[in-house]
Amino acid sequence: MAPKAVAEVVVDLDPEAYETQNVHAIYDKIASHFSSTRYKPWPIVTKFLSELPDGWIGLDSGTGNGKYLPLDRQGKIWMIGLDRSINLLKNAQQAGGKAREVILGNALHHCWRGHAFDYAISIATIHHLANPQRRMLAVQCLLRAVSPKHGRILIYVWAIEQDELSKRIIPQGECKEVGSGKDVIVPWVLSKETSPQGTNSPEGEEKQVYGRYYHMFAKGELGRLVTEAATGLNLIIGAADGQVPSSEGVEIVQDSWERSNYYVELRRWSIP
Amino acid sequence: MVRLVTHNLLACHAKDCNTNNFPLVFQNVQLEIREAEFNSDFIRNFLPKIEWNALVKTAYELGDTSLPQDQPEMVDDEFLKNLHHVLFEIHIIEGGMVCPNCKHNYPISDGIPNMLLAEHEIA
Repeated sequence: MAPKAVAEVVVDLDPEAYETQNVHAIYDKIASHFSSTRYKPWPIVTKFLSELPDGWIGLDSGTGNGKYLPLDRQGKIWMIGLDRSINLLKNAQQAGGKAREVILGNALHHCWRGHAFDYAISIATIHHLANPQRRMLAVQCLLRAVSPKHGRILIYVWAIEQDELSKRIIPQGECKEVGSGKDVIVPWVLSKETSPQGTNSPEGEEKQVYGRYYHMFAKGELGRLVTEAATGLNLIIGAADGQVPSSEGVEIVQDSWERSNYYVELRRWSIP
Repeated sequence: MVRLVTHNLLACHAKDCNTNNFPLVFQNVQLEIREAEFNSDFIRNFLPKIEWNALVKTAYELGDTSLPQDQPEMVDDEFLKNLHHVLFEIHIIEGGMVCPNCKHNYPISDGIPNMLLAEHEIA
């Protein structure tokens, strides 16, 4: 496949309206083709899920086509998928050939009783939110969703630093501010066979191209976002060891890059 | 699918709706019973995290009276099987979930609950 060109963009609308137009509507259009290409779980996500204690219940915020929902270790852990695209959820609902629990919702909204989950994953989701404030709120939603005593969180986002196997061509040039990342539109090409009915152009062109909005994260940006989110919830950043009584915090267990993505693993703790 | 395992976690998130916003009340529902694999280890570990009163109340409202009002101290196989059925085998396919406080109705269609609110409806 030829590399796909990624174009820099300026978010010029209200961010909510911008996401509706450039993320949600696009995924609803490309859902079935997208799902057919997204089946291989990332190893770090698989490892994270494999290490959770039996009986834990979790949230997959931005589940997409639900590709992580079958990694439930034959029912030893439980996972509920949330996504903003109804058409992706129709795939997620049957992920791995089993009935899955899925919710139409927004990663920015907390539609749960407080701290209802033991763990949460947010894989390739937060980078679709169109400003820093909204990305920070999404992290806070995850921190609020999990147990303050033992909650674990894994967050994955797309990186500016792409690996050499990437099929995408990234625009060169300096970021406007140091470590501030880059807003881009990433094309998705639907061939005629995979286009939903009625979306082919009247000229009978072979392909339809849909652009999805991404914020490509710069080095260090995800860790800073998490720190800002946690501080806003009055959480201490760091390990539980040696903290004073009646304190609550979150430890950043991993903050790293893998195959064109940044990821962080977080653990919440509280000292009575 | 919405099952009671999920329903037990959902709460209303409308603006200023912070008390009495759980559990949501099912309304005009279509149910389907589908067998699910019994996993006693999962249920035992999950048990302490269930909001018990909400689960029992909701199960009663859906016509299942197999669970005791108070969580039993002794957990036997019969109890675990009943709990398994209530949590994992009752599928709500159509209908809605209404907030007991603000009365917002979250619709359920084809087994997918719609928890979206417009930005101005959010706290």
